[in-house]
Amino acid sequence: MADTIDIHAEGVEVKKSCCYFCHQNCGVLAYVKDGKVLKIEGDPTHPTNQGGLCCRGNIALLHLDHPARINHPLRRVGAKGENKWEKIPWEQAISEIAERLNAIKAESGAEAVAGAAGTLRTDDWSRRRFFNMFGTPNVFHNALLCWIPTFMVETAVSGWSPFETDLGDSRCVILWGFNPGASAMPGMRGYSDLRKAGMKIIVVDPRYSETAAHSDLWLPLRPGSDTALALAMINVIIMESLYDEEFVNNWCVGFDELWDHVMEYTPEWASEHTWLEPELIRECARMYAKNTPSNIQWGCTADQLGKTSGAGMHARAILRALTGNLDRPGGDLMPGPSHTYVTDEELEANDWLPEEQKAKQIGANKFKMTSWPGYQMIADTARETWGKAPTAEWMCEAHGPSVFKAILTGDPYQIRALIVSATNPVNSYGDSKMTLEALKKVEFLVTCEYWMTPAAIYSDYVMPIAGALERPIVHNNYGVTDHLIASQRAIQPLYERHTDYNFWRDLALATGQDVDQWPWETLEDAFYYVTYPLNEQGYVHGSYDEFVEKYRFFYPPVHYYGYGRNGFCTPSRRVELKSSILEELGYPALPTWIGPAENEIDDPDVAKEYPLVLTTGGGFMPYHHSEQFNIQSVRFLRHEPYFTINPEKADELGIKDGDWCWIETRRGRIRQRANVEPSVDKRVIYAQRGWWYPERQIAPGAVVPDEPFGCLESNVNVLSSVDDEHCDPIGGSWANRGLLCKVYKVDYWDEVETQFSIPGSSSEPGITVPPSKQKLAYEPIPYDPKPDFEVPEGLTWDKKTKYAWDLELGLYYDKDSGWLIHPETQVYYDLYTKYAYDPTDNTLVDEATGVHYDMETRQPIGGVAPVSAPATTEGGE
Amino acid sequence: MTRYAMVMDQRRCIGCQSCTVACRTWNELPLDILYNPVVGEGVVGEFPHVHQTFTPLICMHCDNPPCTICCPCKASQQDEDGIVWVESEKCMACKACVNSCPYGARDVSALDAPLHSYVRKCNFCKDRVREGELPYCVATCHQKARIFGDLDDPNSDVSKLVNGLNTNRIFPELGTDPQVYYIPDLGGVKL
Repeated sequence: MADTIDIHAEGVEVKKSCCYFCHQNCGVLAYVKDGKVLKIEGDPTHPTNQGGLCCRGNIALLHLDHPARINHPLRRVGAKGENKWEKIPWEQAISEIAERLNAIKAESGAEAVAGAAGTLRTDDWSRRRFFNMFGTPNVFHNALLCWIPTFMVETAVSGWSPFETDLGDSRCVILWGFNPGASAMPGMRGYSDLRKAGMKIIVVDPRYSETAAHSDLWLPLRPGSDTALALAMINVIIMESLYDEEFVNNWCVGFDELWDHVMEYTPEWASEHTWLEPELIRECARMYAKNTPSNIQWGCTADQLGKTSGAGMHARAILRALTGNLDRPGGDLMPGPSHTYVTDEELEANDWLPEEQKAKQIGANKFKMTSWPGYQMIADTARETWGKAPTAEWMCEAHGPSVFKAILTGDPYQIRALIVSATNPVNSYGDSKMTLEALKKVEFLVTCEYWMTPAAIYSDYVMPIAGALERPIVHNNYGVTDHLIASQRAIQPLYERHTDYNFWRDLALATGQDVDQWPWETLEDAFYYVTYPLNEQGYVHGSYDEFVEKYRFFYPPVHYYGYGRNGFCTPSRRVELKSSILEELGYPALPTWIGPAENEIDDPDVAKEYPLVLTTGGGFMPYHHSEQFNIQSVRFLRHEPYFTINPEKADELGIKDGDWCWIETRRGRIRQRANVEPSVDKRVIYAQRGWWYPERQIAPGAVVPDEPFGCLESNVNVLSSVDDEHCDPIGGSWANRGLLCKVYKVDYWDEVETQFSIPGSSSEPGITVPPSKQKLAYEPIPYDPKPDFEVPEGLTWDKKTKYAWDLELGLYYDKDSGWLIHPETQVYYDLYTKYAYDPTDNTLVDEATGVHYDMETRQPIGGVAPVSAPATTEGGE
Repeated sequence: MTRYAMVMDQRRCIGCQSCTVACRTWNELPLDILYNPVVGEGVVGEFPHVHQTFTPLICMHCDNPPCTICCPCKASQQDEDGIVWVESEKCMACKACVNSCPYGARDVSALDAPLHSYVRKCNFCKDRVREGELPYCVATCHQKARIFGDLDDPNSDVSKLVNGLNTNRIFPELGTDPQVYYIPDLGGVKL
């Protein structure tokens, strides 16, 4: 057909759109005539993809008008989950949903309404804006599995998480649990180019991945043991004096404590946990520390290890700091939020959410770093440093699995309504059997979707959403970077589809929110508000579309050594190797080893029954998470799920290539086919993520199976754990990797199990331990700093500010000078008499009476008018 | 003279199969036809001393193509710039060329209506190429593992690569003189 469609014909417009099937948002040129997209191709001028498009990008046209797409709002008729629907107009659906949400809010409070989303596939700030104004803090994404805990922990330690790496000048990069060869195609091209130019690439991955095949050093560690590797690398770098002494002396605090702390974490110690030779760990540390400037590239693994995740993030932040790689040419850049265009955080209206509602956020009492307690501390520090804060959407969320548990248990309180957008929670959240049950049970469920998914089928309303080519997109890395890439829509949404923004805006107005708070009728209007300040930077444009057509990108000049001006964005303005924010939240202030969720050393009984180590969650082409399984033109590449097993182990278990096998953990079992291949250790099983079978369509009127679309059959999240004891107490990440499992062949009478349990690892079905009774992996350490000086009588020690205060006068005690100081005026007061110091005549003055007193004797200087003698001393020392 | 050729850089190919899907959507192929599959043996060796390479396949646009000689109705033909293509109006789907091609690079779709079926094969996106653009599989390759150009132009990338590096070809011993060159991945990571 390429012969028959002439993209150069008259009347064909070229629209600068972008791909919307993963986070890269590669540039796409769409050839449009009369509101119809004729062809698409990669945009050769786009900085990300330079004309390239992967499998997913190339199927945009098939996705656009796929026969299985949902094109009209659907309202449930008949019982929940019966799969009987009627089409209703958009406005009617919106007003009915709004009415129901308002009723639930009136009866049970706004917090009984929750919102689940996926990963950067919605107009997230508008979702947050709606929920903030509605009054519920229970908004969440899959954020806790994807960078957000890393961002928060690294920001607490060093003031910003270096998402951007200055690879052009770098000499070595560690791709840590990151496989761009299957999940970031444009990135992989860059790595290949740089490697050719001499950069060293170190890959940390239990599997011989596409990226490991292109590396200089590959560390095939035990899945889940990354934290041990990071700690041992710190040990090597300190013991072999490979750290950047100047940077550490000038810009880091807590180095001596760190030194003592990591003494025990030797490569020999780590070898037991990681299965790596000590010499290999040493070589990795040396390669990274000697080839500076060097980088550690973040990979999803960091956030998917469960209880060991937090310490690993902290350790990696320390590695960057010790080697002096922060914010230097070729190092890990820390641009901070944009100073020019309007950030997502500024659009979220977080001030609208009352404090008492913030306190009700589910999970905030357990996983503090990524919910309101930790976010507030980070946001306050960021505002002091940058003037702006990171986005609350992503960085400050309810704990998703705990919300699903709250639906089932009513603990801590009943969640009655759930709005699901851009996610298929059964496949993308942990413990799928429990999640599926929650979706079946929740009183009111609305799904914003492209397809009929396992979540949509149990919904009361399914809303049709505009996809790629139908919406404008602003790409700015979750609102935490200072550049921006803008793309326009090729065509208006087909049928009755709307963008997510329009869904949230319409719903906001229908629930009674003020139209003045939602002044932008279309997404283009809202994005014009975002880009408008760029006019001052010389990017002259009168509309969002004009910005895209004329400029498309905004890249401010790169500034290195930003900390030289203001210090780092931490409470002490230094890189806090020993983190005061973590300490204040009740977490270890230094990264402390704790094993992965399940492991053979801490849980030998479990290991006896489940002797293999499972890793899941890694991306593989051509799918992104649980997407694109419905599209034949990519599904033919991998039409069935495969897990990888070492040939030696397969022989031992009598498994042949292609055999259907059960993979079982304490939570349940799934079946996938065996890919017998020496790419993993003989103790490791690598299972593909995201699998469901959308082709198993359910005919109208047919009985819906217990697990529609085979959503539990081959879905690895049946195996993952969201039990509180397995989650990271710092960031709330649940455990996808490093779990214990067993593998055996499928018998033909075997059935898929749907019985859930809470906690998931319990052998008893149903709810045995309610969430509030479940213990964390480690208890919070009470934060109770003691004064390192004697508190004078009459003053009160305050552990938050770490000062002794005169509460009556609002003065704090300066232990060095022995004076009381007013925090705002900086006037000094005498500790005993509470008289102010008057520097003009070097006397004390009673502010109430105006009488002056002698400094030494504290006797009134009778009738003496203030002398205009020049002040000889400044301050009170 | 112009002689189009393609170089596959196996050092850069990661087996993502984007070219496979891109070709199929750009050329709107039926489901049972692939112009450029990516094949490989998977990971070989003994853990952790293992290795993996991918081989993207495509019509070799041979200098001595058996598929044009055997065509009874002159539908399968080669242009002066080396591009081998099938004129669908002339083709009667006798499959003589399908049988003659040692690379399995052409076939008839079973999904076409029987009387309107014809042999389909890669034509190096000749419409694009003659307008100065790259074949779509080359343009879409993120990894820049496919390089296309004029072998007779000494300044072209393909000419420099083919003449400057040790490249392989598939079944050169058959005398077809294939014009797709492979830069092998000698690979190996340090452990």
